[in-house]
Amino acid sequence: MTEFSWHENVAFDRQSVSRRRFLYGASAVAAAGAVNFRDVMSVRADELRKQGRAMILLFMQGGPSQFETFDPKPGTENGGPTTAISTTAPGIHIAEGWEKTAQQMKDIAIIRSMTTKEGEHLRAAYQMHTGYIPSGSVKHPSLGSCIAKELAITDRELPSVVTIGDRGANGSGAGFLGVDYEPFQISGRNVGAVPDNVGPIVGEKRFTRRQGLLDKLEGEFAARGGDTVVNNHRRIYDKSAKLVLSPMTKTFDLSLETAETKERYGNSEFGKGCLLARRLIEAGVTFVEVRMNGWDSHQDVFDGVKGLAGKCDPALSALIADLKDRGLFDKTLVMWTGEFGRTPKINPRTGRDHWPRNFNALLAGGGIQGGQVIGETAKDGMGIVNDPVNIPDLFSTICKSLDVNPAKENMSPIGRPLKIVDGGKPVTKLFG
Amino acid sequence: MRRPCVHVGFVFVQVALFAIFSVADEPQVPVSAKGLSPKEVALEIDRQILAELQKAAVQVAQTCSDEDFLRRVTLDITGQLPSPQDVIAFRQNTDSKKRDVLIDKLVDSSEFGLNWARYWRDVIYFRATEQRSRFNQEEFTAWMAVQWNQGTGWNSTVTAMLTASGNVEEHPETALIFAQGAIAEDVTAEACRVFLGIQLQCANCHDHPSDIWKREQFHQLAAYFPRITERRVMKGTPEYEIVSVNTENKQGDFMRDNPEMFIRAFDRDNDQKLSMKELEAGPKRIGRRIPATLKDGKSEGDNVEMQNEGMKEAKASAGRLPAKAIERLFAFGDTNKDELLTVEEIKAAQPPVNRRRGSTEHHMVDLKHPDSPGAIVDPKFFVSGETLPRGQSDEERRMAVAKSFTSPENPWFARAIVNRVWAEMLGEGFYMPVDDIGPTREARYPAVLDLICQNFVANGLNPKWLVRTIANTEAYQRKIQSRPASENDLPFASATPVPLRSDVVFNSLAQVFGVTEAEMNGRTVKAGDKKEAKDKPRAFLQSPRFLFDALFGIDPSIPKDDVMGNIPQSLMMMNSRVFRARMSARGNTQLSRILGEHKDNRDALRELHLLVLAREPSTEEIKICSDYIAEVKDRPEAFEDMMWSLLNSSEFISRR
Repeated sequence: MTEFSWHENVAFDRQSVSRRRFLYGASAVAAAGAVNFRDVMSVRADELRKQGRAMILLFMQGGPSQFETFDPKPGTENGGPTTAISTTAPGIHIAEGWEKTAQQMKDIAIIRSMTTKEGEHLRAAYQMHTGYIPSGSVKHPSLGSCIAKELAITDRELPSVVTIGDRGANGSGAGFLGVDYEPFQISGRNVGAVPDNVGPIVGEKRFTRRQGLLDKLEGEFAARGGDTVVNNHRRIYDKSAKLVLSPMTKTFDLSLETAETKERYGNSEFGKGCLLARRLIEAGVTFVEVRMNGWDSHQDVFDGVKGLAGKCDPALSALIADLKDRGLFDKTLVMWTGEFGRTPKINPRTGRDHWPRNFNALLAGGGIQGGQVIGETAKDGMGIVNDPVNIPDLFSTICKSLDVNPAKENMSPIGRPLKIVDGGKPVTKLFG
Repeated sequence: MRRPCVHVGFVFVQVALFAIFSVADEPQVPVSAKGLSPKEVALEIDRQILAELQKAAVQVAQTCSDEDFLRRVTLDITGQLPSPQDVIAFRQNTDSKKRDVLIDKLVDSSEFGLNWARYWRDVIYFRATEQRSRFNQEEFTAWMAVQWNQGTGWNSTVTAMLTASGNVEEHPETALIFAQGAIAEDVTAEACRVFLGIQLQCANCHDHPSDIWKREQFHQLAAYFPRITERRVMKGTPEYEIVSVNTENKQGDFMRDNPEMFIRAFDRDNDQKLSMKELEAGPKRIGRRIPATLKDGKSEGDNVEMQNEGMKEAKASAGRLPAKAIERLFAFGDTNKDELLTVEEIKAAQPPVNRRRGSTEHHMVDLKHPDSPGAIVDPKFFVSGETLPRGQSDEERRMAVAKSFTSPENPWFARAIVNRVWAEMLGEGFYMPVDDIGPTREARYPAVLDLICQNFVANGLNPKWLVRTIANTEAYQRKIQSRPASENDLPFASATPVPLRSDVVFNSLAQVFGVTEAEMNGRTVKAGDKKEAKDKPRAFLQSPRFLFDALFGIDPSIPKDDVMGNIPQSLMMMNSRVFRARMSARGNTQLSRILGEHKDNRDALRELHLLVLAREPSTEEIKICSDYIAEVKDRPEAFEDMMWSLLNSSEFISRR
């Protein structure tokens, strides 16, 4: 039960892979280089894994308005009717509706100068997840999968990457890193219960007995020349079976939390997702993404965001407080953002449209110095006045927080090396 | 290593020479101008492969059993599992040519086209940069199935895909372009990867580090595609179309490209210059005098028809200019500040160009100045060096590139698909991975590949011919064998057990459960959700096949060896409630029927094996199962467990 590894790609029988790589053409050289590099890295990697660093991404799908969240411009034409409130961090004001988050502001850093060029949802979400522009020829791995590859402990029973919420965020998969780092998806509606197909529906005793029969019957195919296939299949089935029978599956079960805790996070889908994220991180999962829909406020942005904040504010603040209470805060980086921001100009439907030029990200935990604001936007919100932060900068910052080398290269299937983060500099001010 | 394009005649000479020097009792290979038949080419393939294997002293596996052949060839050609009746009938058939006959029958069945269309669906949509491109995947699959079932030449099919326009659901051959958002660079990279097997896209941003391709070559190829764009059509539900943009949709671009015409349209005082007042007054009435004006003002080499088109465009778009635009125009263009614009001034004015979509020429971004549009690059095909002058219409460009792609002089076109289909059927190709071939990669058995390619071309690039030929080879029909110990061993000495594609596993499950596709529903996969369903009301997105594919789908371009099962898949196979109900020994299920019809456990076991694995159980398996029944002491329960074990076996999801 303890020897269960979610991503054990080295242990698989990959002789045919190396056979291909070493025989065919120029990519073999590059691939061989990577192998050597990995060997060198392995000692350090083991140390990293022991540190138990982790990340929670709170992804606001649709692109949240910066004005109605963490960069309000009260009293200006573009700012609209939204007022600002003070926070526990002197001098930092955020939009009304985020009162609970305001209480945690000493532990949260706001980046008001996030900037990209992509104003289309899917392409922008892809970039915010992978750091790369989408390309038909390479499926880039998400930052979460890359991080898991570097940090996850391989002998845990739970998957190393979990995403909670509806499918749809482009680029959140493992890309060419393969199934070993593919996120385990829990749809928003199912949050709280043990996921589908994880429970042994015929009872543990009969399940184990069937497993025994399957194992014996596999012998025939193995003897007839299918041994490689059978061995790989057996490993996956053994792991799956261990998960099915594992007490760790209780991690997914929120009924084990007190009513008070659940109350604190709020009874929304997103609140439950945040609570589950905390449980998963506590149980050793490396990367959890919790998605929240509905931020694409082309109309009625003021009422719309008020409603969303009513769910997001308690969940976000409870998550930070809870991580602190449990001593997980310093090792766990929490990031809140969306794929882009919204237009300063309020449109005729009292909405705001897509605006990638400046938007917000929040960072907390993982060694981030809270109670500060990075970057400043113009009075009318129409652009950045200082300290612009692009996605590679943001990703480099994340890597610094988690002690992951952003220049580490992963090899794409055609032998093209791709860095975890292509360019960018960490925002050093964030680290005190 | 670059191999020159081998001409058809050369191969015939080669074949003929081979026949002369081979042992006397071997049949003479007939040479015909129309290309050889599948059987003839298969024989020649096997002779050459065997010769190389023997030279390398590699042990060659025997021919596989009838049972294994039937399952393998039925799964590969039609994506279906043979029924127990099929297995028994095939075994009892004493015709010495029964395998050839079966291959012909399967290739002529309608499932042939559907199965391979689903393969191409996965090739294209797995790399889609936009998820909404799945909108037309069902239509695309149906269209591709027709092409394969009709034996349409692959050159025609690819030409249709490269030149496609229109509503993406009415014209599903737009699939590849739509999947890449009609963005020139992305379409270029994918077309090259899928249809030529060449990975040119690294050269998008830099000269290829491990290949010979230059950045300019990539952009010259992209220069065939700058005029395609994707447009959203608003009807109750969002629809998309692929359209050609042959003039910039901005006034400014028409103006810059046709300064004389632009001036004429507004020039009321006929001084060949435009004042602010003239522009503000709007265009002159351009009615019946246009043709005359055009004729008079026609410059050498101009195409009257194009100018007419252009004038219509001028008329349509050269309405009253907004005051701001006029202001900008003067700010930009009036370089000598005489408050009059001349042809030269308009020509020199260079407002920013929209280089992402719908730009009429392709611009190669200067990497040192990524925010500037970069220099215009003209179309040139990197394999043959064919070129196209600047200013050609989208239709002309795409026809030209399709012609270059599919030309018999372009060896990579045939090699790419032959290698793909061979790899799909044998588990390993001449080149691996299948989408990274090209002159700097080395093929195994290069002569065999060229032999197939030449005859494939001579047979009109008919995919039916190709699949028939491969299925007829001894190389395809060998027994499976464990992986060779040495990585240097030549492939094709035995068959390789590889995972089946998602659709094939899905078909097999439906067949084993004895249910229709629609009845495969239930809570098997939690993939789609209501929100998405509301946004994308395409029904297939909620179909059991689609949901199953979300979990079991594999990118057909990656080597089979790299395909591993994963935990959510095995969890579903093990614990799905829907599957459990379908495997029940009670109620209206296949197992219940088998147990009712066969009171003897051995007979029931035999029937169950035939149903799930399309073969008889071995003596050892009968013993294991009999012991299990004795241990469980409950016949229905024991049989449910056995069916569960067979369905969860690696054999069920693999080709053997």
